[in-house]
Amino acid sequence: MGEAAGGQNERARALLISVAEQLKVPLTVIARQAELGLLTGGMAKVDATTIVSQTTTALTLVDSYLLGLELLQQQAQLELEPVSLSSLLTDVAHDLEQYAKSYQVHLEVAIAGKYGPIMGHSKGLKAALLSLGFALAEAQAAQEVQGPKRLVLGLHHTPHGTITGIYGNYQSLSVPAWRAALRLNGRARQPIRSLSASTGAGLFVADTIMQAMETRLRVGRYKGQQGLAATFLPSQQLQLV
Amino acid sequence: MSYILLIESNGVLASLYTQALQRAGFRVARAVGAQSGITAADKQCPDIVILDIELAEHSGVEFLHEFRSYSEWQNIPVIINTALPPVRAQAVLGSLQRDFGITNMLYKPRLTLDDLVRTAQQALRQANPQ
Repeated sequence: MGEAAGGQNERARALLISVAEQLKVPLTVIARQAELGLLTGGMAKVDATTIVSQTTTALTLVDSYLLGLELLQQQAQLELEPVSLSSLLTDVAHDLEQYAKSYQVHLEVAIAGKYGPIMGHSKGLKAALLSLGFALAEAQAAQEVQGPKRLVLGLHHTPHGTITGIYGNYQSLSVPAWRAALRLNGRARQPIRSLSASTGAGLFVADTIMQAMETRLRVGRYKGQQGLAATFLPSQQLQLV
Repeated sequence: MSYILLIESNGVLASLYTQALQRAGFRVARAVGAQSGITAADKQCPDIVILDIELAEHSGVEFLHEFRSYSEWQNIPVIINTALPPVRAQAVLGSLQRDFGITNMLYKPRLTLDDLVRTAQQALRQANPQ
């Protein structure tokens, strides 16, 4: 019975991987068609830009999901390297900008102080932060809050380490809600309704990748905003160099 | 007018790439696979080849083996454009990148038409410094 279940799980996983890879094809076609429409003037700039940013988001999510899956299965090992969190965060903000704009969410980068490098995996960390950012931008737009909607990409020191995360006006986001969401992921259509109207897949993909870097996403506060963040310890060796 | 041989199995994408490259002043011939790629190159020698690795029947790597076996095609720039994630593409090609003189490795899902055109123009300039 156990073996049959195991075999089914393996088949289901294989199917998901296959579908995820295949999804990249039509998404790529849509993005490039919109781009051509922009180049030839055959499509309104707003329309084409939205299509390109949405499909780029989808492609990023698919890639991040596949990376997360590989890491879960330990088929990929993250080779750690010195990473500048402040540069990475700026990079992520740049990639998120168009998407956030399409949801009328204002993006802000808040880096308090100077930071030495941490040992991490630059591509993995970027994939995680991007997935998180896309999910939280969409979630922020869906929040019934007064005033302008904004997302803060933050980096700050605490006695526990360097914390990087993405924050917004999420009044109902709490530690119990996030813990419940992690349990409900894949079982409920809206595992974290206080945050996201959809499955919030980007949040869980980000958390999975962070796990491979021996940290996890936790609920945090920064600059009066609530969000999800991860803690990194600065590399003592790199600081000595 | 420089001539590009585009070996791409996805017809819709191939059409989009072709239109973008033609707008930039290139002549483009398209082949769906390795075999037709060799036939097309034989018909008219390309200035650049843009090649996917994952093709039906014979792979892009097999194409490269055959393509580079002909002396007249040994110095033609080859740009790889693949949906394989970069780390996997590097693993697949490994030292063949150097052995086959691959000019660029592009990641198809993120490659904009602008980037494709720029890469082709750059490859051509590098191959023909004047």
